[in-house]
Amino acid sequence: MIQVDNITKQFKKVVKQPGLLGSVKSLFSPKSEIVTAVDKVSFTVPDGEVLGFIGPNGAGKSTVIKMLTGILTPTSGSCTINGKIPQQDRKNYVREIGAVFGQRTQLWWDLPLVETYSVLKEIYEVPDDKFKKRMDFLNEVLDLQTFVKSPVRTLSLGQRMRADIAASLLHSPKVLFLDEPTIGLDVVVKDNIRKAIAKINQEEKTTVILTTHDLSDIELLCKRIVMIDKGKNVFDGNLHDLKSKYGQMRELCFETDQIQEVKSNLQYLQHFNVSEDDVVVSIDGANVNVKFNSDKIAVADILGYTLQHIRINDINVKDSDIEEIIRRLYKEGVTDNE
Amino acid sequence: MLKTIKRMLKMHRIFIAQDLKKMMEYKIDFLTGAFSFLLGQAINIAFLWIIFSQIPQLKGWSYDQIIFIYGFSLLPKAIDHLFFDNLWMVGYSIVAKGEFDKYLTRPINPLFTVIVERFQVDAFGELVVGIVLIASVIGKVSLQWSVLNVILFILIIPFATLIYTGIKILTSALSFWTKRSGQVTHLVYAVNDFAKYPTTIYNNFIKTVITYIIPFACTAFYPASYFITGENPLFNLGLTVVMSMVLMTVSILVWNKGVSAYESAGS
Repeated sequence: MIQVDNITKQFKKVVKQPGLLGSVKSLFSPKSEIVTAVDKVSFTVPDGEVLGFIGPNGAGKSTVIKMLTGILTPTSGSCTINGKIPQQDRKNYVREIGAVFGQRTQLWWDLPLVETYSVLKEIYEVPDDKFKKRMDFLNEVLDLQTFVKSPVRTLSLGQRMRADIAASLLHSPKVLFLDEPTIGLDVVVKDNIRKAIAKINQEEKTTVILTTHDLSDIELLCKRIVMIDKGKNVFDGNLHDLKSKYGQMRELCFETDQIQEVKSNLQYLQHFNVSEDDVVVSIDGANVNVKFNSDKIAVADILGYTLQHIRINDINVKDSDIEEIIRRLYKEGVTDNE
Repeated sequence: MLKTIKRMLKMHRIFIAQDLKKMMEYKIDFLTGAFSFLLGQAINIAFLWIIFSQIPQLKGWSYDQIIFIYGFSLLPKAIDHLFFDNLWMVGYSIVAKGEFDKYLTRPINPLFTVIVERFQVDAFGELVVGIVLIASVIGKVSLQWSVLNVILFILIIPFATLIYTGIKILTSALSFWTKRSGQVTHLVYAVNDFAKYPTTIYNNFIKTVITYIIPFACTAFYPASYFITGENPLFNLGLTVVMSMVLMTVSILVWNKGVSAYESAGS
């Protein structure tokens, strides 16, 4: 059980004037201001849950994760995992957690991958027989065999990410933190990694806290979402609640030869009698992208209307990504009403 | 306690092996390094010989005694360089780039892990030169090499080493607040050149600085002068022990405070 209680992190930031002269000035009379990166965030995660931790860039996601993994010391508030506080009992605390930061690696860059695992085995004091079983399991889930003997620097990004996830799981942690584990990966690799995370969660009841910008990660893995923005908690619930609470923006994409007629033939605003926030049309070559609020316009209606009024080569409807929901959140002013 | 030490020694061995394997991974680089290392040491010894043969004596210290002090100064420096070199990287990049994160998520002491991650074989050069210099004059400096003095000699070296290490921990830990502190370490280390020669040749200001503030004189001149003259063991050896303990205590306190001020880097 993870308990996060009013956790707050403030950074002191030196305000610099622009240019070289400004830099020199601030060297002698530094002006600083306090920036609150995380502001009284609270949530709890029961054992075995996969929690999606989302928010726009700079919202404070990584800062929260770094406090939970014991890297940063909170300015106030606390986080505990099974009653342990990272700053008081780091050694025992970190034995219970594994962490992967998608942008960084903890692997030994110059050596074959297998060397990293044998050092981590010693660091976490994993007994020989358990280590062997563990490697077999991780091999099976993350498919490491083909590159386990290659130097880490020669691995592809997808391989490296799988290797890093395996490294974080070697000591069978109860909680796994994944900060953007699918960043920069292609669809197939993303899919493999999601399957692996789901499998580990199911078989070992590992609690997973995951940050991502990819809505598919959330949809396929997470029962619950915590969303923060500007350092504050703005949502805590499941994906369906999020969508119905904030209005579901979806996207209608189609390709047409009659690109000139799109503007004149398709009068979404008038036809459905909605505001400009609810329908946004953008055109790129022969491709048209219509973002619409599916609470106000039914998918069937917009599809029927579009098909009637224009000749279409290809069409599909998809959910918009998290960024879109967040953009929507700004407009509705959720953050201000907090 | 004993278990912890045993575990630390084991981890130390594993990390050193890892670093050596890393060197072997790049064979040409390793061979070039080994060659340039041997060449560098040969030039170094030749150069010292030329310099010192021009100086018959310095403020009452004979040529042989100066060589002894110089050689002595290299031993703790080399041992520190060999085992604790990675501390430089803390102030130069590890903290600024946020690479310190990974040390904090592992169940071993972060300071210990940073230190053992690098095994600086270059340091064998200083060690060899130091031993050669001491060996070449050991019969000629006036001390009687009793069993007690040999034991004292062996015991004082680790304390002298920890003065270097303490200074590096302290100045590196500043980077937790300032992000980069490599230049501070560098600045303090520049004072080290004073330590290679008899402290009595300097004016009072420099003498005070290198005795009590940045106590590099305790890494060479004071202990070495005991082994040359046999005088004042309490001050000459005792000061080294006291200074190294004080420095290590202060630097570890500052380090620990620094770790909780660590701000990582955005990702």
